[in-house]
Amino acid sequence: MKPETVIRTITFLLMLAGCTIEFKPEIMEDKELLVVSGLITDQAVSNRVVLSRSTPIGNQIISNAVTGAFVTITDESGFVTTLIETSPGVYSTDSSAFRGRIGGSYALNIIADGESYETGFVEMKPVPEIGSLYYEKVVITPSTDSSRIDEGCRIYLDSYDPTGKCLFFRWSFVETWEYHIPYPVVNSICWATERSGRILIKNTAVYNHARVSKLPVTFITNRTTRLQVKYSILVNQYSVNESEYRFWEKLQNINENVGGLYDMTPMAIDGNIRCTSSPGETVLGYFSVSAVAEKRLFVKDQFLGQPHFYTYCITDTLTGFLPEEGLNRSYWVLEDNANEIPPWWVITTYRECADCVTDAERIKPDYWDDF
Amino acid sequence: MKIKSFIACVILLTATPAFSQENYRIDWEYRGNSFEEFVMQVEAAYPVRFFYRDEWISNLTPGDYGNKQFLFEILDTLFSGRQIHYYHEKPDRIILTRYYAIKLDGDIPVEELNYIPGLDYSEVAESGAPAGNIVIDLGKASDRDLPGRVTISGYIRNQDTREVVPGVTVYIPKISAGTISNAYGFYSLSIPRGTYSVMFTFIGMKEKIIDLNLYGPGELDVEMRGMLIPLREAVITADKSVTFQRHEAGMEKINITTFRLSPTSLGEADIMKSMLQVTGVQSVGEGSAGFNVRGGSADQNLILLYGAPVYNTSHFFGFFSAVNPDIIRDVTLYKGAIPARYGGRLASVLDITPRDGNRREFKGNAGISPVTTHFVAEGPVKRDTLFYLIAGRVTYSDWLLKVINNSALNNSNAFFTDFNTRITYEPDRYNKIDFSAYYSYDSFRFNSDTTYKYENMIASLRWRHFFSNRLFSNLTITNSYYDYDISSFRSPPEAFVLSHTINSSGIRADFTWLPGRHEFNFGADMATYSILPGKFLPGLDSSIVTPKSIEKQRALETALYLEDNFPVTDYLSINAGLRFVTFLALGPQTLLTYDPFYPRGVSTVTDTIVFGKAGAYKTYAGPELRLSAILRTGQHSTAKLTYSHTRQYLHLLSNTISISPSDIWKLSDYHIKPQSGDQFAAGYYRMFNQDKIEVSGEAYYKKIKNMIDFKGGTRLVMNEFIERDLINVDGKAYGLELQVRKPEGRIRWSLGYTWSRVLIRSTGTFAEESINRGEWFPADFDRPHDLILTFNYLHTRRMSFSANYTYSSGRPVTYPLSSYKIGDVILTHYSDRNKYRIPAYSRLDISFKVSGDLKVKKIAHPHWIFSLYNLTGRQNVYSVYFKNEKNTVKGYYLSVFGRPIPSVSFNFDF
Repeated sequence: MKPETVIRTITFLLMLAGCTIEFKPEIMEDKELLVVSGLITDQAVSNRVVLSRSTPIGNQIISNAVTGAFVTITDESGFVTTLIETSPGVYSTDSSAFRGRIGGSYALNIIADGESYETGFVEMKPVPEIGSLYYEKVVITPSTDSSRIDEGCRIYLDSYDPTGKCLFFRWSFVETWEYHIPYPVVNSICWATERSGRILIKNTAVYNHARVSKLPVTFITNRTTRLQVKYSILVNQYSVNESEYRFWEKLQNINENVGGLYDMTPMAIDGNIRCTSSPGETVLGYFSVSAVAEKRLFVKDQFLGQPHFYTYCITDTLTGFLPEEGLNRSYWVLEDNANEIPPWWVITTYRECADCVTDAERIKPDYWDDF
Repeated sequence: MKIKSFIACVILLTATPAFSQENYRIDWEYRGNSFEEFVMQVEAAYPVRFFYRDEWISNLTPGDYGNKQFLFEILDTLFSGRQIHYYHEKPDRIILTRYYAIKLDGDIPVEELNYIPGLDYSEVAESGAPAGNIVIDLGKASDRDLPGRVTISGYIRNQDTREVVPGVTVYIPKISAGTISNAYGFYSLSIPRGTYSVMFTFIGMKEKIIDLNLYGPGELDVEMRGMLIPLREAVITADKSVTFQRHEAGMEKINITTFRLSPTSLGEADIMKSMLQVTGVQSVGEGSAGFNVRGGSADQNLILLYGAPVYNTSHFFGFFSAVNPDIIRDVTLYKGAIPARYGGRLASVLDITPRDGNRREFKGNAGISPVTTHFVAEGPVKRDTLFYLIAGRVTYSDWLLKVINNSALNNSNAFFTDFNTRITYEPDRYNKIDFSAYYSYDSFRFNSDTTYKYENMIASLRWRHFFSNRLFSNLTITNSYYDYDISSFRSPPEAFVLSHTINSSGIRADFTWLPGRHEFNFGADMATYSILPGKFLPGLDSSIVTPKSIEKQRALETALYLEDNFPVTDYLSINAGLRFVTFLALGPQTLLTYDPFYPRGVSTVTDTIVFGKAGAYKTYAGPELRLSAILRTGQHSTAKLTYSHTRQYLHLLSNTISISPSDIWKLSDYHIKPQSGDQFAAGYYRMFNQDKIEVSGEAYYKKIKNMIDFKGGTRLVMNEFIERDLINVDGKAYGLELQVRKPEGRIRWSLGYTWSRVLIRSTGTFAEESINRGEWFPADFDRPHDLILTFNYLHTRRMSFSANYTYSSGRPVTYPLSSYKIGDVILTHYSDRNKYRIPAYSRLDISFKVSGDLKVKKIAHPHWIFSLYNLTGRQNVYSVYFKNEKNTVKGYYLSVFGRPIPSVSFNFDF
C-alpha cells in the first residue's frame, strides 16, 4: 500500500458519509487529440502502434481510429521500418522482417492528418522471467451478515532479477474463464476474455534487490462468473526505463482518484511523443519499448458463498404454443419441450441467459485443459 | 506584597457615596517616626486601615506640624506638594493614591482643587452605566492651564482573576482619541489637559467609564469586571473603537465567548472554523484543514500558541481544530499589516492568547459534545502568586464510524486527544513567569490495515519583566515538535513505517518602551529548525523494504525588529516597523547542482556538493518593512493605509487541494528560495447611528514571489530530489472587503462581503516546468464572491439565539476533457489547471443556547447548546470526481454535510 492511499481513505470516508449526485460537466473545449499507443517488444510477433483520437468526456469511449497515417520505426543504426495499416488505425510490423532486440534503441515517426510527430530513441531493456504466479483465497464477510462467508481470490506475483538491472516493472494481464449456463441451450459453455485496464507498476529501486514479492496482481470476487468453473490469467511482465515508469506513475496517481480535496491535483501528463509541425499541439499516449516475459496461471477451486448467477433468468413458462416474435417482443427459449404433451417452453427475455456467446466465445482456447 | 500595598483599585470606590469629615485625634508624639510607624500607631489607636504602595512613602517622615492634631490635617500637610492624595472610604479605609486624587461623583468639590464641572454622561448612560461613575483627578489642579499634551498610562486587570487584560479599548469620545492596551495590559495615551469621560471596553467585560480631570501626567490603573455569564457577548467583533484606533488595518480579534455560541457541525466550538467568518478568510472546502487569508495558501499562516508555531492545527484531517477552546482567552488574526514582531509567514498571523489560570479560586468546567468530552480546571496554589490551568479533551468518535454501514469503516478506529497546561508564577508586580505545555495526538486506523498517527508537542517558558512603567520586556523560550507516521502491515513483505518530523526551538526577547508619545517595540528572535523529511523503515522483520532516510535539514533563522507607533498630529498617526531576518541553511548537507539550461533531472546533474557540519551552505537575508498610517478623517471616520513586506523560509509541500495529513515541511535551501510577499491595503471606517453601526471597507493588492507548485502527478512522500519536481510560481491577489455591523445590544448582526481574486503563474523556463503555458490562472482557493451574515439575539442572559449564513463562489477545479486508451488502460486527459469551477456554496446554521441559571453561588452552572448545521439541507458540493462506468466517464458531485445536522452539547461550570 502506498502512503498516498491512506489519504484517499479520507475521501472514501467522506463518500460514505456524504452523498453523490451525477452531473455533466460543461466543457468548453472538445478537441479530439491524437493518441498514440505503441509497444515494441523482443517477441517474434507483429508489433503494433495504434493511432486514435481521444473521446470527449461523457461520451462512450470508442476507438476513433486515425487511418491513412505514415508510421515508421527507426533503430539506433538509422535503419527504418515502415509499419503497415492492418486494420483501421492499427499499424503493424511484419513479424518476419522486424523483431526488437534487447539493447537496441528505437524511435517512432508518424505523419498523420498533415502533422508530423516523433519520439526520441528508447532503449529496450532486458526483463527477467516471472518467478511465480499464484493465488490465495480471501475471506470477505459482508458487514450486513456476519454469519455468511464469502471467498474471493487474490492473484499474486513474485519476480526477481538476479542481475539487478530491472528496477522498474510494469505488468499487464489477460483474464480468460470458462463458464456454464445451467440450461439445456446450444451455447451453454463459453470462454470469456478480459484485458486488464489497470496500471500495474512497481519501483524496486527502493528495495535492496530487484525483487518483487507477493505483488497483488488482481482480486477476483465471487460476484462474477470468473470463479464458477475455471479461471486463467496470463501476465506479461515488462521492464521499463525510469522515464516511462514516471509517466505511468503520474498517470496512476492522477487517474485513479481525482477531484477530492485530498487527491492529487490533476494535470495533463505528457508522454514521449511530440508534434514537430505544430509544437503547441498536445499528443497523448506513449511509445513503449520493452522486453516481455509472460506466465499463465489456472485457478480451479471451490470458493464459498458464490451466488446463483441465473436466478433472474426465467421470465415465463409457456404451455401450448410459442407466441410469434414481433415488435417489443423478444424472447429466448431456455428449455424446449415441444415434444411433450402438452408442449411447454421455458423462456427468458435476457439473451445472455440463453446464449453465452453474448459475452464470450464458444471456442475453447488451445492452451485450455479440462482438469 | 503586603496588604498595605494596595493598588489603587477604583472599582472598590464605588461602594460608599458620601464623604465624611470624621476625624481622629493624634495625641502622641509622631515627629521623626517613619510614615510606616505612624500608620501602625494610627491603626492601633483607631479602627482604620491604610492602603498604599511602599515606594510612595519610603522617604516620608511626618514633621512638626505645630498644633495640628487631627489625622486628616496631618495627612493634608504631609502629602501637600508630594503628589500623594488620600481618600477615606467609610468606615475604615484610608486609601492613598499618587499623582491623582479620587472622589466620587456627587462629592463636594474641595475648593482649592478647583474641580472642573460639567461632565457629560449622556453618551454613556445607555451602556448599562456602572453604579456611579468614578471621578479621578490626575496631576495638580494648578497645572490645568499649562499648554501641551500630557500622558496618562496604567495597567488594566481583570478584577476577578487579576490577569492583565490586553486589547482593552481606551477611548475618549469627546476628542475621538484612544488606544488599546498592549500585551502586558498596559496602555498609554497622550492627550491635551481637560475633563473627559474615558471608556474602557473589552468584549466579555463590563464597560468601565472613568471621569477624568486631567491636569498633568499620571498613572491610572483600572480593574475591569468580567460578565457573569460570558455568553452575554457573542459576536465576532473588532469593536468600534478598536477599528478606529488599531494601527494594523486588517486585524481581527475574536473572543472565546464569541465562537462559543457559533453554530457548529458536530457540537464542537472551533477556533479555526470561526476564522472563516472574518472577511477575507476562506477555505477550500468545509471540513478541510487550514484556511486561506487574502489569497494566501494555508501554509502562509503563522499559528502561534504560547508563542510557538503549531505545525498541524487540526484533528481528524481537518474536521476539528487541534487547539482546545477551553484554554483560549482570545485570538488575534493579522491579515493586513503584520506587526514587525511577527515574521516567517506571508499571509497572516493567528496569535492564540491562552488564559492564565484563575488566581483567586478554584474553578472548573466540563462538558460533552457528540464528538468529545472535555474538562478544564484552574486555580491558585498560592493566591495571586502561583496558579495553574489544565485542560484536556478526548474523543469518543469511534461510534460514528461504527454506525456507518460499511465493513471497512466498521474496522476502522479514530482517536484524538489534546492536553494543555499552564503554570504561572507572579512573585511580585514586576515579574511574571509562566510555563505552558501542549500535546495533541491523532490516530486513525483504516480497515484494520493502515495506521496514520500524528502528534504536536509544544513547551514554552516565558518571563515578563517590568523594568518600569515605561519599559517592559518579555523573554520567551519555546519548542515545537511535530511528527507523523504512517504504517501498513497488510502485505508483510512490504510492511512499512513512514515518518516525518519537524522540530523547532526559539528564543525571543521583546521590549516595549514608552518614552512619552512614542511607543517603541523592539526585540530579537532566533529559531532553529530541524526537519527529518522522511524515514521509510520496514514494518516487520519479514519485510523486504529497504530502510531509507532522507537527509536531515537544519536551519537557523534570526530576526531583529524595531517598531515605532507615533501620533504625529491629532489627525495622523504612524506605525513604522522594520524587521531584518537572516536565514542560514545549515550543514551537513549533500546537494546536487544541475545544468541551468535543462530541466532538473537525473541526467542534468552537474555536481554533487557535500557540506560539512560547520556553517551555513546557503544564506538568505533581507529587511521586511511594515508601515501603516491612520488618518482621522472626521468625528466618526478614519482612513488607513498600510504596506507590508513579508518573507517565508518554511514551506509546507502539498500537491493536494487541501492540506493533507502526509504533507511535508521543507526549509528553504540551495534550490528553494524563500517566498516573499508585498501587500498594499487601504481602508475606510465610519460609524453611524450614534456609533452603533460600523461600516468598513478595505481594499488590498498583494504580490507573492517564489511559491511552490509541482509537476503533475508528483509524489512528495520520500522524494529525495524534490527540486526536480518543483515548479516555481508567482501569485497576485487583490480584493475588496466590505462590512456593516452592529456589534452591541440585544440584537447584533453583521454583514460581510468580500470580492477577491488570487491568480498564480508558473515562472519556469522549460515546458515541463510550466502550468497552463505560463499564463495566469486561478489558485485552488480563488473564490471571488464571499458573503457572510451573522445574527444574534440575546433574549435574556439565559437564552440566546444565533444564526450564520455563508455564501461563496465555488472553488476552481480541473476537469477531465477526454478519455483515451493506451493498450487496454483507459486514461483521462485534463483541462488547463483550474479552468472550471464547482457550484457555489451556501449554508445556513442556527444555534440556541440556554444556561441553567444566573446565581453566582451555586455548585454548578449548566449550559446547553443546541445547534442545527446546514438548516436547509442544501447539498453543497464538497468536491467533484469522475468515474468510468461502462466505458463512459461520468462526473459526480460529492456533498458531505448534505442534510441538516443537529447536535447538542452540554457543559457545566463548577
